[in-house]
Amino acid sequence: MSTTAAPAPGASRGDLARLERHWGETPSVRSWLTTVDHKRIGRRYLVTAGLFFALAGLSALAMRTQLARPEAGMLSPEEYNQLFTMHGTTMIFLFATPMLFGFGNVLVPLMIGSRDMAFPKLNALGYWVFLFSGLFMWASLPFGAAPNNGWFAYVPLSDEQHNPGLHMDVYSLGLLFLGVATTAGSINFIVTALKLRAPGMSLNRVPLFVWAIVATGFMVIFALPALNVDNAMLFLDRRFGTHFFDPEAGGNVLLWQHLFWIFGHPDVYIIVMPALGIVSAVLPAFTRRGVVGYPLVVLAIVSISIISFGVWVHHMFATGLPQLSYSFFSAASTIITIPSGIQIFAWLATMMLGRLVLRVPLLFVIGFIVTFVLGGLTGAMFALTAFDQQVTDSYFVVAHFHYVLIGGAVFPMLAGIYFWLPKITGRMYHEGLGRWAFWLVFVGMHVTFFPMHLYGLFGMPRRVYTYRSEAGWDGWNLVSTVGSYVLALGLLLVLVGVVHAIRRGRPAPPDPWGGDTLDWSTDSPPKPYNFPVLPRVRSLHPNWDGPSRESMATGAEPDRVLADGRRTLRTSELDGRRERAVEMPEPSFQPLVLALAMLTFFTALLLAWYPVAAGAAATVAVTLAVWLWPPRRPDTEVGVSA
Amino acid sequence: MSTHPDPRARLAGGLLFWYAVLGGAIAWALHLLTGWGIDELACAAGSEAVGPVPLRTALSATVVLPALATVGALLAATLLWRRTTHVVTDGEDRPVGRSRLLALVGIWSNLLFLTIIVLGGIALLVLPPCQR
Repeated sequence: MSTTAAPAPGASRGDLARLERHWGETPSVRSWLTTVDHKRIGRRYLVTAGLFFALAGLSALAMRTQLARPEAGMLSPEEYNQLFTMHGTTMIFLFATPMLFGFGNVLVPLMIGSRDMAFPKLNALGYWVFLFSGLFMWASLPFGAAPNNGWFAYVPLSDEQHNPGLHMDVYSLGLLFLGVATTAGSINFIVTALKLRAPGMSLNRVPLFVWAIVATGFMVIFALPALNVDNAMLFLDRRFGTHFFDPEAGGNVLLWQHLFWIFGHPDVYIIVMPALGIVSAVLPAFTRRGVVGYPLVVLAIVSISIISFGVWVHHMFATGLPQLSYSFFSAASTIITIPSGIQIFAWLATMMLGRLVLRVPLLFVIGFIVTFVLGGLTGAMFALTAFDQQVTDSYFVVAHFHYVLIGGAVFPMLAGIYFWLPKITGRMYHEGLGRWAFWLVFVGMHVTFFPMHLYGLFGMPRRVYTYRSEAGWDGWNLVSTVGSYVLALGLLLVLVGVVHAIRRGRPAPPDPWGGDTLDWSTDSPPKPYNFPVLPRVRSLHPNWDGPSRESMATGAEPDRVLADGRRTLRTSELDGRRERAVEMPEPSFQPLVLALAMLTFFTALLLAWYPVAAGAAATVAVTLAVWLWPPRRPDTEVGVSA
Repeated sequence: MSTHPDPRARLAGGLLFWYAVLGGAIAWALHLLTGWGIDELACAAGSEAVGPVPLRTALSATVVLPALATVGALLAATLLWRRTTHVVTDGEDRPVGRSRLLALVGIWSNLLFLTIIVLGGIALLVLPPCQR
């Protein structure tokens, strides 16, 4: 089974020196701006998404403080509207997905035995666009111009007539801008997982985390265009007087909702799916066995990613569509609980049949199961049209989706942070601090959100900046507010734990947990080229499998060392058969320049500086042309020949 | 016996393989889009018919045809599963393992999609198409 040492490299000293020369980056401002290394980009995703999480969390604390007692005056209605909109928009778009993309960026190449992502420059572009689009949206808050219509921005409330000012222009342009990053990242994950897997890693040997990331990538590719079209039409309606959502001119208000939720419900799974993949990656190390029912978990991942596109109308059960139409979506919404349940039972069986090692990552996984199942339970209730119509727009809905998203995404992310911190930073975390953090987060989460079920059923509507005492919601709201501060304290302890590990943690061995995937066969932190010898995979658990480990040591073959250049192996999609070595790009300023040009374009559009926008669009076109211009190098050098 | 079937047989085998794995998903997607679309558009237009065809009959077709296609995919996936059960993997690069995985995924996912389509069909028996 596991060891705590990476296999002795099967590459010679000369090979290692050449690999270092081709892949290594000297620390400098230039290297910081031009890097295309998936590990550095992944770390940036994690840190930047963490910063946006902090901003959205502070917004939530301000809102909970306002709601702690009736008729409080800490926030004005206008400020409250901007805060809850930025909270939701940030948590969904700028925290959850990018944080999980960060995990994917760091881990997918390591887990599949590759030296980088398939398109490293596109990867760098994705990060810069994510950063700039987040800043673009948050920069509006100090000017009182932040989005203020809720994260799903329903028309007609978000049109120019009912919501003048820049607020919803920031929303629509910001999300269009961010969509470039999310789309680029998804394409990169899909191609990387399909084409750069180590030889021998056929589809039945792919780690569940990678399956989850690929499924997420496909969901983004199919779901995001609906949101992009929606936002483009909203911006055109608001700025240029088109009538896509204006019923008096032949438009349709429900068109917004349909397009938004065609994206929006798959997006729940876009957020949760990689997090479930983290759970499947963490469990083997702390149960000392593989996840029970691997094929069924793959089935669950694949079927959820498909069925999630057929449930969107359950967000619209109160809009007056024909009941037969509802029933088609109600059926899908009910059945999607089966694959979700399969995963839950697979994890429970894994824990039951394995030997539990109760460390902090496993605590967070257990916390995830408890919380996510409760969220799933209320989710199944929403699949029933009659119940859904009773609680629509009440705090019951707020309770449900926080159970799903904190339970289904934040708990696994925290498990993932503690699990891979040694791999990413090369340092071990403090176990005691981690346990305190877990209990504070777990208790704080439930104290905050469980009462919302109750006062939602008692009739408290969501998105109100205050309420009157006569309604009888005061006590429950106070409990929620106290819980939110406990939750914030727990999350602060997580941050303290990470900083403590980086500064004072003891050095981490390559495989501190006895993990089963290839990431644990590399150094902690991994070398810039990841693997001195690319592995030859012979089982689902290559790090527990002697021949797979041996393939990186004494079983190394020259065609898997590839030290003469910045190269990695391309393999076939289904069976992981070796095709040829491919050349990977060098660090470049092009991603940063392109992202800056896009930032200029969207800012100019927002401020109606159209000539500047035209200039920025031209810069984008020129940068793309330079980027895509074929290199003047012989075929053998660019990896075209075998 | 030849180990390399002719290109036409390979193409047919490949198509049958992917029909077994994804047939139910595609059939369900067609069921959802056509069933919902026809119901929504006809009722919004105030009509209980699609051209000369009564609305309920048209909707029945959007249930029955995809259900039959899904049953076909289920049978194909089961056949694939049975055929890969006793294959000896003499060479480690033979794609039997991943074929069995995808066959199993096909069997269970086709069952899920068939269930969703059948539930939609039951709703069609119970609810008038344009009741709001």
